Amino acid sequence: MGLLLFAMSDPIEKSNQPAAHALGNPVTKVLGSLKFALTVILLLALACIAGTLIPQGAQVEPYLARPGGHPVLGMLSALGLTRVFYSWWFVGLLFALASSLMVCTGRRYHAIKRAKGAARIRVIGSFITHVSLLLVLAGGVVRVIWGQKGMIQFREGEIVESAESPDGPMALPFSLRLSKFELEFHKNPEESKDATGDRLQVQWAEKNWVTHFSTELNVEHPVTPPDAAAGSRPSFVVKVLRHVSDFAIDGTTGEVMSRSDEPNNPAVQISVVAGGVTNRQWVFARFPDFGSHDVLDAAAMPLKFRFQAAESAGRGRQGSIKAFKSTIEVVENGAVVSTRVIAVNSPFSWKGFSFYQTSYNPDDLAWSALQVVRDPGVPIVYAGFILMMAGLTLVFCVGPWLGEQRRTTGGIP
Amino acid sequence: MTSILNMTVLFNVSLAVYFCAMVASVIGLMSRRRFFDVAANGLIVVGVSIQTIYLGMRWVEAGRAPFSNMFESLVLFGWTVSVVYLLLRIRAKLPWLAAASAALSALALAHASTFESEIRPLMPALQSNWLSFHVMTCFLGYGAFAISSLAAVGFLIASRERSTAQGETRQTLETIVAQTISFGFLFLTLGILTGAVWANSAWGTYWSWDPKETWSLITWFIYAGFLHFNFVRGWRGRRAAWISIIGFVSVLFTYYGVNFLLAGLHSYAKS
Ligand code: HEM
Repeated sequence: MGLLLFAMSDPIEKSNQPAAHALGNPVTKVLGSLKFALTVILLLALACIAGTLIPQGAQVEPYLARPGGHPVLGMLSALGLTRVFYSWWFVGLLFALASSLMVCTGRRYHAIKRAKGAARIRVIGSFITHVSLLLVLAGGVVRVIWGQKGMIQFREGEIVESAESPDGPMALPFSLRLSKFELEFHKNPEESKDATGDRLQVQWAEKNWVTHFSTELNVEHPVTPPDAAAGSRPSFVVKVLRHVSDFAIDGTTGEVMSRSDEPNNPAVQISVVAGGVTNRQWVFARFPDFGSHDVLDAAAMPLKFRFQAAESAGRGRQGSIKAFKSTIEVVENGAVVSTRVIAVNSPFSWKGFSFYQTSYNPDDLAWSALQVVRDPGVPIVYAGFILMMAGLTLVFCVGPWLGEQRRTTGGIP
Repeated sequence: MTSILNMTVLFNVSLAVYFCAMVASVIGLMSRRRFFDVAANGLIVVGVSIQTIYLGMRWVEAGRAPFSNMFESLVLFGWTVSVVYLLLRIRAKLPWLAAASAALSALALAHASTFESEIRPLMPALQSNWLSFHVMTCFLGYGAFAISSLAAVGFLIASRERSTAQGETRQTLETIVAQTISFGFLFLTLGILTGAVWANSAWGTYWSWDPKETWSLITWFIYAGFLHFNFVRGWRGRRAAWISIIGFVSVLFTYYGVNFLLAGLHSYAKS
């Protein structure tokens, strides 16, 4: 039914036009004219087009930094066209829009009293819409003047009292401690059934030699040094004995077990036979530097193993990560006053500072990065958003609908 | 597995139904037989219903709103175009608009079928209800703008010929151009605002001037210009029709151009 409400709209009647006496001041006369407003909007649109078609900011710097620079980009940069949205003239255009809006809304306010019936709803709606635009712009100004932005990087157990920002450290009125960081993966049934995604990397550092074996159980992989004569006996035979997806040691029996089918801590147990001696060890996908040997000590083993589980190989791919979250504690005067979990799309605010989960490190799962933002303009901007929708609804739905009602019931328009 | 198979069937059937609707309305236009016009509209209703079931199944299958990549958004676009057409149909009868919108829905689905349709898990930043709401509202806006530009093209063609019957059509078309833009503007605004709220909850910035955001703002400016020209200045006819067409070109650039030509924050939504 929606479109039914978008009734035929006639041009705003003469009675809604500003009265001549309101146009006394020549400055407000220009600023309040629709011609001026539409010119500013057109210029803003053109500036936006330029700002997306011309490479901006950080994209350009490497070219300019090259010896001799870059002729075209150098010129555009000199003209301020490589930082369009932060240039004085773009900000000037936004101010021009704001001044125009101020004069218009001031004037529309009087029109509300004159308008009658359904047309009045429309004028009220349009007034609210224009005021809401001013609020959004004002919120943006508040952000630019009083807003702060920084970054926190810490590891589990660490505590920070300030964030890093391009303008130096940004002090926080409290401390934050990262008590836990978690990375979750999407369950990918196909991948975990198919062991081909898993690989065992074998590295023989001395010989500068690396290879990969599949992790199929009990298959013997001979390792021959690359410099050995053809047909000579392999120096090592590597075999995968066991595979667990969530490695754990049973506290009572001391046996290795898999806590679940989730690939939380994938590990393989391998055996390496060298000169008649069998050496067994566990290799962990998530903790490549951790290994337990039971016969040879680590130093005596020239081969280094890495277990590249399909899940962890996919860690770099964005789609396979389901969530990453930090459990943080807010510390004030040495006491923990709040504990919260922060995840992407689920920020946490405390005393005007908001914390956003932004990053993780696939090679250091205890590390977490948070963005810190203090933006006192957000409530103003959001108020603007709500008013804008309310105003547009009055203009485009309620007004026409009322007009329709009166037309069909034969009431006064 | 069976539901994925059923879904593919539903997808193909909806595409075929839109195609038949287009053919029926073209025959109706040429033969001036009422039957074909009724059949075309009936087929569009069927197409929208099948697509609604399809979207619902995909939603359940994926466990999230199915609006996250090129394939899914094109399917959504095909749906919104026909939905907006049907909403308009309640008020005005325009056989050739049925042909044009059925053709556009079919085209959107045919184009969707060239993209990967597999349901993929989402990266964390995309797991947000605000985002689903953002895409849904933007696309309702785009659907309305698409119909508006089709009506605008129709208007430009109709205004070349001079007969009284054409005059009536012209007036209806003018009204449709303006009405669909009002509808579209409301939804595009809601789409931009929910997008800003999403960005703020994911990154702590509601606006960062990335190309997609900026282009949606350009589109918004164009239609804001239309509203002032049309409702305040009383611009009608050819000039209004041209603004509607320029506006839709900007929509297309926001959608395709930015994904394929310009890189930005939104570029991960490409695949
Ligand atoms: C991009 C910013 C703007 C947006 C989104 C916007 C939006 C709107 C909307 C939705 C309407 C209602 C149209 C209708 O009644 O059908 C309107 C009307 C109007 N706008 Fe704007 N506007 C903007 C900027 C401006 C500016 C800067 C001026 C200053 C001259 C202005 C002056 C007017 C006037 C005079 C009317 C009609 C009178 C009324 O209904 O109150 N607008 N605008």
